[in-house]
Amino acid sequence: MANRKLIVGYLYPDIMSGYGDRGNVATIVRRCGWRGITAEVWELRLGDPVVADEVDLLMIGNGGEFHQRLIARDLADVKAPGICEAVAQGAALLAVGAGYELLGRFYQPSKGVELPGAGLFDTWTIQHGDDLATASYSITQARAGRAIGDLLVRWGDELLVGFENHSAKTYLGPTAQALGEVILGQGNNGDGGEGVRLGCAVGTYLRGPCLPRNPVLADFLIRGALLRRYRDCELKPLPDELEHAAHDTAVNRLRESAGGISPARRRIPSKRYMRQRQRVYS
Amino acid sequence: MTGTNGKGTTCRMLAGMMRAAGLHPMLNHEGSNQPAGLASTLLAHATASGHLPADAGAIGVFEVDEGSLGEILPQANPVAAVFTNIFRDQMDRYLELDYLVRHLERGLLGLPADATLVLNADDPRLAYLGSELTNPRIWFGLEDLGHRRGGVDHTSDFPRCPRCAGELRYSSVFYAHLGHWECGGCGLARPAPQVRAAKADLTGPGSSRLQVVAPGTEAVLEVPLPGLYNAYNALAATAAATACQLPSNALSAVDQVTTGCLRMERVSVDGREVYLALAKNCSGFTEVLRSVLAGGQPGHLMLGLNDQARQQQPDVSWIWDVDFESLRGLVPSAVLSGNRASDLAVRLKYARWAGPGGQTDVAVEPDPVRALRLAVARAPEGRPVWVVSTDLVLRQLREWLRRRGHVGKVWER
Repeated sequence: MANRKLIVGYLYPDIMSGYGDRGNVATIVRRCGWRGITAEVWELRLGDPVVADEVDLLMIGNGGEFHQRLIARDLADVKAPGICEAVAQGAALLAVGAGYELLGRFYQPSKGVELPGAGLFDTWTIQHGDDLATASYSITQARAGRAIGDLLVRWGDELLVGFENHSAKTYLGPTAQALGEVILGQGNNGDGGEGVRLGCAVGTYLRGPCLPRNPVLADFLIRGALLRRYRDCELKPLPDELEHAAHDTAVNRLRESAGGISPARRRIPSKRYMRQRQRVYS
Repeated sequence: MTGTNGKGTTCRMLAGMMRAAGLHPMLNHEGSNQPAGLASTLLAHATASGHLPADAGAIGVFEVDEGSLGEILPQANPVAAVFTNIFRDQMDRYLELDYLVRHLERGLLGLPADATLVLNADDPRLAYLGSELTNPRIWFGLEDLGHRRGGVDHTSDFPRCPRCAGELRYSSVFYAHLGHWECGGCGLARPAPQVRAAKADLTGPGSSRLQVVAPGTEAVLEVPLPGLYNAYNALAATAAATACQLPSNALSAVDQVTTGCLRMERVSVDGREVYLALAKNCSGFTEVLRSVLAGGQPGHLMLGLNDQARQQQPDVSWIWDVDFESLRGLVPSAVLSGNRASDLAVRLKYARWAGPGGQTDVAVEPDPVRALRLAVARAPEGRPVWVVSTDLVLRQLREWLRRRGHVGKVWER
């Protein structure tokens, strides 16, 4: 199909891009472009609403608690209705780290009242660590209670690789479905689940940024966006040798080093892998 | 001396000024900047009795790891504490930038009341660091608007107002979040620097000339190191010299500073000119690339990316904030190396250096030595090769060069 165009809504690009998150946006734009699909990026800042009918793919990245406090009210009041409506219509979404945390019901900081979430996902997040901004302990102590390191996740038949760095834990409510299963690392809260998936909306702790090294996830989002806009998610395969090499380098390195990682950080793959990958497209 | 980038270079610039003023500065080795590193420096200078030699001209110039400031400051009793800049760096170690800034502020509580704070006026995170302290302050900043970049720099770490968290407005951005800023909320603004560069001419790929105005003096400084980032280092050193009350004729000694180990260090490989430049975070990598490619001359590169051994620091996400995009088309060939070379290859593909429409011939060779030889072989006769890399790749290269007799030991300088 010729002349296809997608609108990518990049939420708070100036505030929530603290972790190479522009790489995720660049990955979507390029992978669309190489297929003759125009991906137009709309920067949605504080005060800008999300108009559900207009956006096909929404993206939100990372920041610290400071940044979460800056955007939480705007996200919940100004943008949440449009975000939830767009996802209900089938729009795709990628929320990473701090952005993922705020798309749930609420975020409970270590001190003070909870921050409202967008309520898209049936999840909530609790900061178990002390507030980094006011804590008086050393960096070594601050690192102790934190999930920092490689994160390897089984997503259907695929392995997703990334890096996690968070001290808050995210819990899934009864209607939420985890994105995948943790093979190595902590993921949501240490219960073996990582991320959340609702239709074509994905929340995850996978940083890195995650899409360049996991092109399968990038294409999943593009397909979702195409399906919602054009009722057709035909997507030409791309030569992904470089992307696969980066992905496999990470996986192989983790395999080799798994014996060297402390038992607490090691998670033996469970037998109940999600055998079936639920697809929103046939 | 602390901050993300430029600590070591600024220390050496300042030490040169001190020597010119007749003092005998004692420095820790670049990178040995945590308590153990400082302790071993002191031990190396100590006499058998366990004391430092009595010397009226002795003065310590120590670069201090940002995370170790709180431990070191109360024991060091310094005349001045200098903060070069704060950028996103080693998030897997320092967790979050705001946490690191808090950590620095807590560390400052150990600062003697009469010590001078030397701060970068152009860095809004640092300009008002420790604002509750009554210590004397010297600010330094760049005032040559010829170096302003259009709009906001993508490598910016998005600082908010240090007082009210309001949005900052920039009349000029020099790089990352360094520039002339003002808070739209509470009106807090870049302090007027006492030490300022009225003019900064990048006179060549490896040098700059600064017209510096400092209290009671004006000087033209020849900085024999590349890029705007080294101009900032020279300003920081000048401000520190002012804090230490060095005579103004000592400032020009900055022209004697040599490149630090792996800081655009020139070596010869098979008769070819090779420059080794350490870059380990987003703003450092971007500024080194910008200065290497500033002349408009095509640059033949070897880029290296390594995470630390045993997954201690596996985060390389910052390469996605390096401004490769605006440098597209300036690099005919690049050899990528290190254990994360494949991540760099993907990065360059998505920056459209390589892949569809790309103009850079990219090769991946994880082994650093083979990669350097390949890069040298691919560059045309007479053209230098610039190696820009994180540290493990460079250390392996340097060890190989040392064994071949091309360079001395890492700290033999």
